[in-house]
Amino acid sequence: MIPLVLAEPGEENIILRVGGSPETKKHLEDLGFVAGGSVTVLNTIAGNLIVNVKESRVAISREMAGKIMV
Amino acid sequence: MDKQIRIALAGNPNSGKTTLFNKLTGSNQFVGNWPGVTVEKKEGKLIVDKEVVLTDLPGIYSLSPYTLEEVVARNYLIEEKPDAILNIVDATNLERNLYLTTQLTELGIPTVIALNMMDLVKKAGDTINIKELSRQLGCPIVEISALKGQGVEEAARAAIAAAKTGKTVPQHSFSGPVEHALAHIEEVTVHNLPEEQQRWYAIKMFERDEKVLEQLKVPADVRAHIEKDIVAAEKELDDDAESIITNERYIYIAQLLKGIYKKKGKGQLSTSDKIDKIVTNRILALPIFVVVMWLVYALSMGAPIGDGGIAIGTFLTDWANDVLGGAWLTDGSRAILESWNVAPWLVGLISDGILAGVGAVLGFVPQMLVLFLMLCILEDCGYMARIAFIMDRIFRRFGLSGKSFIPMLVGTGCGIPGVMASRTIENERDRRMTVMTTTFIPCGAKMPIIGLIAGALFGGSTWVATSAYFIGIAAIVISGIMLKKTKMFAGDPAPFVMELPAYHVPSWGNVLRGTWERGWSFIKRAGTVIVLSSIVIWFLSGFGTVNGRFGMVDELYEDETVVTDEYVTVVADRMGISEDEVEPMDDSILARVAQPVSVIFKPLGFGDWKPTVATVTGLVAKEEVVATFGVLYNFQGEEAAAIDEETGEVLLDEDGNPIMEEEELEENGDQIWENVESDFNAFSGGHGRLAAYSFMIFNLLCAPCFAAIGAIRREMNSRKWTWFAIGYQCGFAYVTALIVWQLGRLFVGGVNVIGLIVALVLLAALCYQLFKPYKEATTLTVK
Repeated sequence: MIPLVLAEPGEENIILRVGGSPETKKHLEDLGFVAGGSVTVLNTIAGNLIVNVKESRVAISREMAGKIMV
Repeated sequence: MDKQIRIALAGNPNSGKTTLFNKLTGSNQFVGNWPGVTVEKKEGKLIVDKEVVLTDLPGIYSLSPYTLEEVVARNYLIEEKPDAILNIVDATNLERNLYLTTQLTELGIPTVIALNMMDLVKKAGDTINIKELSRQLGCPIVEISALKGQGVEEAARAAIAAAKTGKTVPQHSFSGPVEHALAHIEEVTVHNLPEEQQRWYAIKMFERDEKVLEQLKVPADVRAHIEKDIVAAEKELDDDAESIITNERYIYIAQLLKGIYKKKGKGQLSTSDKIDKIVTNRILALPIFVVVMWLVYALSMGAPIGDGGIAIGTFLTDWANDVLGGAWLTDGSRAILESWNVAPWLVGLISDGILAGVGAVLGFVPQMLVLFLMLCILEDCGYMARIAFIMDRIFRRFGLSGKSFIPMLVGTGCGIPGVMASRTIENERDRRMTVMTTTFIPCGAKMPIIGLIAGALFGGSTWVATSAYFIGIAAIVISGIMLKKTKMFAGDPAPFVMELPAYHVPSWGNVLRGTWERGWSFIKRAGTVIVLSSIVIWFLSGFGTVNGRFGMVDELYEDETVVTDEYVTVVADRMGISEDEVEPMDDSILARVAQPVSVIFKPLGFGDWKPTVATVTGLVAKEEVVATFGVLYNFQGEEAAAIDEETGEVLLDEDGNPIMEEEELEENGDQIWENVESDFNAFSGGHGRLAAYSFMIFNLLCAPCFAAIGAIRREMNSRKWTWFAIGYQCGFAYVTALIVWQLGRLFVGGVNVIGLIVALVLLAALCYQLFKPYKEATTLTVK
């Protein structure tokens, strides 16, 4: 289990756990980051990521991406 | 019809809601290819049936209580109970969109799905079995293309029909333990609510939704009772209640779509992804961004066409200022009014007061429109969201978000649209901080001040202008770091999470609509604030008491019985100038007020009435600082023979004498440089350069012009915050200028011990605030 920040770009990963405070967690889950779902890192820039989750492109900061375990 | 039908339009951000709303109601709301354009709800009447009111709700991902948009949307749906919900669903992103749909169907309100962007799905070769999807979800589905206007009428009619007769029952259910708990909760708490709403409330209570628990005033013992059920379910499913519900919704949707949604090419990169591979590439992102921004800047605010540049904006603005503002508005109106024999004071008020002031601001309009046009194109095609993403890591270091970049960029041209551009920042804390710091960037109107100081005291050195930008940027960085450690801005930093819209070719109608909306906002601002402040300054500088008589000072000074020699001596004494320097303006209300007020600026090194007046008039428009100096430092346009611009020959009148005309004050005021230099040297005890630099710093950083203050007021939407912003800016400017002046004298001589101590204390306080440890919050908190 590694945080999403460390995931290899271009590889599809299964989300194992979403952490953080209830607000953060809920917000991430509403955006499609749910345990069991898949996520692909498309691009990284200075630690911030662009990921493909549920067919939408989401830009996410390093801090938030650290709360998603894959 | 007895009762008006109300339909709510709900859906994910950037799913085309506002476009559909415009198509259905014929209204003209601006649509952004940027999530979160609609924050408040908007209402309109349907074109197909004027009896039906459509409400455009903000874009939401769910009905949780965590973001402002979600709270606005769900309060409307629960409390106002619209007759039907038209749920717009982006077909290219079905899973995430249907996640909201599952929640909407639980509300007990008839729901119709408008399946948007089906054309894109078909183009990609994918298929969706709409009939089956409709059956499984339990609500009618209409295929539409909001952009092209296809199917929107049918969608509206379906929603009206649903409002009259329809009923939507949620078709999905949760796993055994959850359903078991839900049944219990329904039994003990919500059985007295309308039947169709019971399920939604029960689910929310299962999620421990504080807002719902508060609203229903669930007694503590009942809460404890249902808590047992929730904990039991949580234990069995090994997750917290909210996540259980969320997960099960997604699992349900995934199963639902299995047989219904057939994808042709799986795992392929879309065109958007391919563009992103280049545009947000870790090496290329910044260079591409710099080129794009350079283009935007060069086209709107750079050197004008015909002057080595490509700026359409500057070209048009120069024309507007010289021809429209200068010649037609001011001189033209003066000629007309004089020909009507209007009283001179009224001519002065209208031509020099109102029209000159308004003209100066309206002159910026072409430039602003070109800039807005370009920014709207960037926004509409989807690049703007990427800019925010690229700049986020840099801006985050000093407490701002990547979304603060655009306001600051726009601010280099003019602070007003800069402040207005902060509207796209959803997080209130980030928005406020951006609004407060944007005007630190030297705007176009501050350039003449820099030119004047550089020219008069620094021999035209270019480092003055360079340092001005550096000071502006440093002020933003320092303010950001200091403010994020204060109570007001702490605890609320928004980690960057933003959906990136797919790139598309900008729609011209939308781009022009957005440009006009912002441009018009700017014009309206100029029309109200500037008119008022122009009148006030005109009055204060034109009227006063001369030797006991009140009136227009210019007129009173022509009367030798009023302005006696002794009186001139009195005025000269009061102002600390020689008798032949006495001017009508010295008796104006403005000068009289400014003289004692100037004491405030003594610790900054320019405690003299002339710089004080200039600073105050700078509030009307920053260009006024130089104009005021022109008046105060005795600039008399020297008469010179008029020269034909084309032939270079001296123009002659009928009698063969050369026509004389007054020389105009240059923009950077080079004719008065000598006077300014000697005066600054005189009142600062020989440290004119330092005093002038301190003066420049104060004027660059202090409260912006009235028009920009008006914009701040509007974006802050709070009197308290507006005053706080202005107070902070002035305070910061004062402290910075004071430190520069007092510490500077350590090097040039003439140290004032008390002043030095104060400066050192302030510097220490600044450094403490800058370097004190601070723990960055990583949670997303929304009030």
